[in-house]
Amino acid sequence: MYKLHKFNKIIISFNILLLFSSCEKIFEFSPYEANVNTEFKNTTNKNLQLINDIQLNSDTFSFAFVTDNHYHYDNLRSVIDDINKKDDILFVIFGGDIADQALLKEYEIFYNIMKNLNKPYLTVIGNHDYNSNGEVVYKQMFGEYNYSFEFNHNKFVIFDDVVWESNKNPDFDWLSTQLTDNALFKQVFVVAHIPPFTDQFDSDMEQAYRLLMQENNVQLSIHGHVHSYSFGKVYNDSVNYLTVPWLKKPTYCIINVFDKAFDIELVAL
Amino acid sequence: MNKRNTFTLFAILVFTNVFANDTTLIKVKGWYVPDYTKVQFAGNIGLLSVGFGYQFLNNHLYSELLYGYVPASISKTEVIHTITVKNTFPILNKEFKTITLSPITGFTASFETGNNSFLKLPDKYPSGYYSPNAFHFTIFIGAKVHKNFINQKIMRGVDLYFELGSVDTYIWYTVLSKEVKINQIFSSAIGINLYF
Repeated sequence: MYKLHKFNKIIISFNILLLFSSCEKIFEFSPYEANVNTEFKNTTNKNLQLINDIQLNSDTFSFAFVTDNHYHYDNLRSVIDDINKKDDILFVIFGGDIADQALLKEYEIFYNIMKNLNKPYLTVIGNHDYNSNGEVVYKQMFGEYNYSFEFNHNKFVIFDDVVWESNKNPDFDWLSTQLTDNALFKQVFVVAHIPPFTDQFDSDMEQAYRLLMQENNVQLSIHGHVHSYSFGKVYNDSVNYLTVPWLKKPTYCIINVFDKAFDIELVAL
Repeated sequence: MNKRNTFTLFAILVFTNVFANDTTLIKVKGWYVPDYTKVQFAGNIGLLSVGFGYQFLNNHLYSELLYGYVPASISKTEVIHTITVKNTFPILNKEFKTITLSPITGFTASFETGNNSFLKLPDKYPSGYYSPNAFHFTIFIGAKVHKNFINQKIMRGVDLYFELGSVDTYIWYTVLSKEVKINQIFSSAIGINLYF
């Protein structure tokens, strides 16, 4: 046993008391809880409404694609701060791997950082987000795994293509249905965490995805997962595939959308 | 002396020490009989966790085996079962009349069953795709009040304790990132130990 100086004791006790009184949650029962705060729920629908409310009198606009946070929270914040300064970016799509172990706490930290964004954002679920009880947390905090929306006569399809962690095959029937009305839109963009040409897709799935993109005039298929930048026509057809780097470094992409074309900017802060 | 021998010697020393304590202090019961039983509320090892514990190293270490439970109505997913080994160290013991007040610190090691978590990576993943995610450590600081009962026939005494703690992963994120604040990662626990 050693003796603490009385002054130190007071300081330590005071700090413990201060920490206790400032705790965001007084009690926590398990890292695997999926008890999402009501304020954090239904994020996708809230943001879809915000995107729907944007008034735009031009064919040209931009959106940002940020992906694979895992636990690089400071870089996520830097990227958000940079996007906030760019008025031509109207919304942000986050490409999955919001979390690393998919613990509720990780989702909450992500949510709190994204509160700093001054424009709407949407998410697609990544393979890491399915771990532990992440599937349940994601559903409560964000909403459906598959959804689509229209913006300025362009169609965006957000597609859950996680195979191993979700213990299911990607719902290609749903994707196909979503793409049937492609002729009504100037351009069609598909967002899925895992690129079809990587680990979790077998050759049948890859073929199915490739054909759906090609036959439905999809201009751009956007992905994360591989943690590096690549852009081009992977299958020698009309479809461009983009993979965006992870947040281990503060990097993201801006997609500038024109009347019937787009271009890509890679931003490295 | 190689590592294994050192460990064996250490184990023997600890064991004899424990045994010696037991034989001098608690004359009737065997070394394997727990010294106390425990109920804890919260602390990232269950809504409620229950178990039993031993006093080691001349009461410098309190070691416990606990089972924690979170019902589905609270977890908002499946029921969460947690098996925990908890170690508490009283930093010092201050006596006030009939009670003893101790600042405490310690750690837990927990294993959680089910819910897409695993100790060994399932075969569908390439090797190294994920680290095992069914294990977590917590660390805590707090305070404990101990009182010995006057009538010791049924129970010898009781501890009430309060702790502030956090989980390994959360602490790692706070260290890595200034965006993760310390008040986001600490939460409290309360509990009771009843001594046989």
